[in-house]
Amino acid sequence: MADVSPSPAAETETIPITQPRSFWSALAAPVRWIPEVTRKRVGLALVFGGALLFPIIVRNGGDVDAAANACAFAILALGLNIVVGFAGLLDLGYAAFFAIGAYVYGILASGQVTPPWNDAWQALQWLGLVSRYHIEGAPDVVQLHFSFWLMLPGAAVVAALFGILFGAPTLRLKGDYLAIVTLGFGEIVPIVVRNTPKLTNGAMGLNGVNSPQAFGYRFGVNSTPYYYLGVFMIALLIFISYRLKDSRIGRAWMAIREDEIAAGAMGVNRSRLKLLAFAIGAAFAGATGTFYIAKLTTATPDMFQFPVSVMVLVMVVLGGMGSVPGVVLGALILQLLQSWFLQDLTQWTHALGRLVHSEWLQQLELVQGIELIFGIILVMMMLYRRGGLIPATRRTAALSMTEQAAAPSRGGIGVSLSRLEKVEASQGSPMLETVGLTKRFGGISAVRDVNLIIPSHTVVGLIGPNGSGKTTFFNIVTGLDTPDGGRVLFLGEDVTGLPAHTIVEKGIARTFQTLRLFNNMTVLENVLVGMHARTRTNAVGAVFRPPSTRAEERESREWAIEVLHIFGNRLAPRVNHLASSLSYANRRRLEIARAIASRPKLLLLDEPTAGMNPAETLELADQIRSLRTIGITVLLIEHKMNVVNEISDKVAVLDYGEKIAEGTAQEVQRNDDVIRAYLGRTAAAGV
Amino acid sequence: MTLRDILVQQIINGLSLGAMYSLLALGFTMVYGIIELINFAHFNVFMVGSFIAMWVLQSLGLVGQSRVLLGLPLVGALSLALASTMLLSGGIGVLIERTALRPMRNVPGTASMITTIGVSYILFNIILLTVGAASQNYPNPMPRISWDLGGAVLRLREVLLWSVSLVLMGLLQVFVRRTKMGKAMRATAQDQEAARMMGVEVDQIIMLTFFIGSALAGAAGLIFGLYYNFTSFIIGYTAGLRAFTAAVLGGIGNIMGAMLGGVIIGLIESLGGQFLAVRWTDVIIFSILILVLVFRPTGIFGMSAHQKS
Repeated sequence: MADVSPSPAAETETIPITQPRSFWSALAAPVRWIPEVTRKRVGLALVFGGALLFPIIVRNGGDVDAAANACAFAILALGLNIVVGFAGLLDLGYAAFFAIGAYVYGILASGQVTPPWNDAWQALQWLGLVSRYHIEGAPDVVQLHFSFWLMLPGAAVVAALFGILFGAPTLRLKGDYLAIVTLGFGEIVPIVVRNTPKLTNGAMGLNGVNSPQAFGYRFGVNSTPYYYLGVFMIALLIFISYRLKDSRIGRAWMAIREDEIAAGAMGVNRSRLKLLAFAIGAAFAGATGTFYIAKLTTATPDMFQFPVSVMVLVMVVLGGMGSVPGVVLGALILQLLQSWFLQDLTQWTHALGRLVHSEWLQQLELVQGIELIFGIILVMMMLYRRGGLIPATRRTAALSMTEQAAAPSRGGIGVSLSRLEKVEASQGSPMLETVGLTKRFGGISAVRDVNLIIPSHTVVGLIGPNGSGKTTFFNIVTGLDTPDGGRVLFLGEDVTGLPAHTIVEKGIARTFQTLRLFNNMTVLENVLVGMHARTRTNAVGAVFRPPSTRAEERESREWAIEVLHIFGNRLAPRVNHLASSLSYANRRRLEIARAIASRPKLLLLDEPTAGMNPAETLELADQIRSLRTIGITVLLIEHKMNVVNEISDKVAVLDYGEKIAEGTAQEVQRNDDVIRAYLGRTAAAGV
Repeated sequence: MTLRDILVQQIINGLSLGAMYSLLALGFTMVYGIIELINFAHFNVFMVGSFIAMWVLQSLGLVGQSRVLLGLPLVGALSLALASTMLLSGGIGVLIERTALRPMRNVPGTASMITTIGVSYILFNIILLTVGAASQNYPNPMPRISWDLGGAVLRLREVLLWSVSLVLMGLLQVFVRRTKMGKAMRATAQDQEAARMMGVEVDQIIMLTFFIGSALAGAAGLIFGLYYNFTSFIIGYTAGLRAFTAAVLGGIGNIMGAMLGGVIIGLIESLGGQFLAVRWTDVIIFSILILVLVFRPTGIFGMSAHQKS
C-alpha cells in the first residue's frame, strides 16, 4: 500500500495483535505442539473419566447427592444458554419451564390425582402406565404411575409446547420488554400451581413421586444412579449444544443476537428461529424438572420461583453467555460454593465467633448469603468480564505482513461465481418495478408515488440529496418497511409487504449504509448467514448431521470462500477474524460479500464506497461493474458522482421522496430539476 | 356492610396502595425514559428505604404502634422521617448509578439490566444478613382517628398518605415542567446526543434522575411501613413488580402515566382481592403486564413520552 495514502481505517488494519508471553503461556508451550483436536479430545476424555469415577472415589453419599443436584442445574444452565447465550433472548422466567416439566411428571407419577376408572384407561393399563385400584365400598379409581423414562422426553415435549404457546406472541418484543414478560410468566406459573390444589396439592406440594426403575433396579433414595444419569444428560446436551451452535441454525441465532434487523434482511426467519431457541431451552428445562423431582420424590411451588431463574442466569453469566463449557463450569462452581464451600466457611465463622465471643458471628449462616454472592457475581462479571470465565469468542492470531499486504487493484473481480442463478435478459418483465410507491412517516412523505423500472443485467444508480428517501425506498423493497401505497414487482411478481426473509428467498439482497455486520461472528460466519435462505438444514439435521447436511455445509463453506475471493486478498486471509476487528473498508466489503452469498438476482447497495479512499473506491466500482457481467443486477445508492457516472447504465434521482429525473448519468446531470434539487434555484437559472 | 360500602372501602384501600405504587412507578418510568433501562435495583431501594425510615422513627423514640403523637410533634416526626429517608434513598440511587451503571452506559443489549438484578440482590442480602429474616414491627405514631362514610371507614393515616403522595407528585410535575433542570431532563430523555450538544450536562441529569426516582422509592417505603405496620427484606420484589406493571400500564417513560397506572394497579389489587380472590390478584396483575407489553407497549393511554428507534 506504499503508493496510497492510508486512510485512518487502513492504519488500524496494520497494527499486529501481540499477546504478552506470561509465565503460564511459557509453561504451556510444550502442549502447543500437540494438535488442537487431540488436545481437546484428551481434555474431554479426562473430564468425563473423572466424572465417571467421582462417586467411586469420594464414597460420601452427601457429596454424590450434591453432585447429582449440580448436574440438574448444569443441564438448566445449558438450556438457558441456548436461549440467552446463542439467541440473545433474556429469559427471566426460565424456572417456569422447569416447574412445568416437574409437575407433568409429578402429577402422572404420584397418587395426587385418582380419576374414576372407566374403560378408556384400559389401553394405558395395558401399556403399564396406570393401574386399576379397588377401594371397598367405592367405585374403582385409576392409579397413575407413568414411566420416568417415557416422561423424561415427554416432559421436555410438554415444556417445549408451553414455550411455543408463550413465545409465539411475546418473542417479537425487544430485549428488555421480553425479559419482563418472561419474568411475569415465571411468576404466574408457580401461583397457578399453588392455586390448583386438586391437581398439584397446592402449597403443600406433591409427595411420593415415583422414582425411576431400570433393569429391575429401583433408584429410590440412592443418589449414585441419579448422578450417572445426570452426567449422561449433561454429555448429551453438551453434544447437542455444540452441534447446534456450529450449524446453520446456530449461526442464525447468533445473527439474531447480534443484529435482528440485519438477520432478517439476510434471510433469517426471525420469529421462527427465536421460537425454536425458546422451545429447545424449555425442553431442556422440562426434562430437568422430571429428573429433579424424581430424585427428590417431592415438588412444591416454592422450588421454582424467581430466585431459581436468577441462579441459572448467574451460572450462564459466570461461565460465559454462549460458551458451552463455560456454562457447565459456571453451574459447577456455584453448586460447589453452595454445597461445600459456604457450609465449611460457616463452620469456621462459628468457631471464630466462639473464639472472639461474638454472638453475631456465631449465628451467621453464610449459606443464606449465597444470593449476596450471586449479586456480586452478576455485577462484577458485567462490569469487568462480560464474556464470562470461558468466553465464547476467542481472539485470532494476527496476520503476517505479507498476508496483510493488499494493494488497490483495478479490473473487477477474478472469480466466476458459477453457482449464481442466471437470469435470462430476454424475460418479459423487468428485474424490479415499483408502481406508485409511497411511504409516510407522520406528516412527511419519505417516498411519494415513485415509479421506477430496473431492467435485468444493468447497474442503476439511485441518487438524491440527503433525506430524499433513498434508504426508505430500499427498506420498502427489502421488506423492512411496509409501504402506505403502491406495489413492488420483482420479475413480474408482486412482493409488496412480504417479510424481509421471504424477499431474500425471492432473490433480492441488500447492504446497509450504517454497517450492520454481526460483529461477534467471524468473517466466514457472516457470509454463511448470508446463505441462510439458500440452505435447508433444520435443528434435527444440525444435531444428527446426516450426509445431506454435511454436503450442504461443505458446499456452503466452499461458496462462502469463493464469494470472499471477490475482493482478492482483502477478506480471504481474514476468514476466521471477528467482523468487529476489520477495518472500515473491509467491513463494507464484507457486507457486500454477505449479501452476494445469498445468490441474489438483484443486489441493493446502500453507499458501498462510503468511507473508502479514492483508490479503494475505484477498485470497488470495478468490482460492482463486473457483478453485472456475471448476472447480478445492481441498484446502487451513491453520493460519489464519479462512481455513479462510471458504472451506472441508468440513473434515477429522488428529491423529497419524489422521482424528479431518470436517464443516463449525462442526461440527469443536465436536468434542471436535478440541479435545482442539489444546488438551489439560482444555480438552475444559471445566475 | 352493603355492597356499596364494601366498594367504597376497597376504593379507599386501593387508592392508598395506588399512592404507594405511583411513587414507586415514577422511579422506573423516569429512569427508563432517560436511559432506557429497566432498573431492578429500584425494587430493593424501596425496601431499604422502608428500613431507613423505620430506623429514623425508632431513633426518635417511637417503637411499635403504641406511642401516638398529635399535632406538631406528629408532623415534625413524619417530616423528618420522610426527608431523611428520601435523601438517603436518593443517595443510594446515585451511588448505584455512579458505580455500577455509568460504566455500562454504552454497552448494547441487556447487560445493564442484568447488572441491576445483581445490585438488587446485593441490597436484599445486606438487609437479610444484617437485620435478619424476621419481619419488623413498624413504628407508627399516627393517632387512630377515622371517619365513618356509611359503612366504610376512612382513617387519618389514609388521608395523610394521599396528601404526602399528591404533594410529592405535584412537586415533581412542577420540577419537570417549570424548571431549567426539568427542561434539561426532558431534553435528555428525547435525545441524549442533541441535549449534550446543547450544553446539557447529561451525566448530571442522569444522576439527578436516579436521585429523584430513588428518593420517591424511599418515600414509598415509608408509606408501606405506615400502611401495613411492618417491613421485611422481602417486600421489594412483589411491590416493585406491581409498581413496574403500573409504569408499563401508563406507558413507560411517561410520568403522568405512571401516576395513573399506580392508582389503577392499587384499585385492581384491592377490588380484585375483594371480588375475585386474593390468591389470584397477582396472576391478574402480571397478566396485565404481559398483555400490555405485547399488545400495547406504549401503555393504555397511548402516550409514551418519547419513542426511540
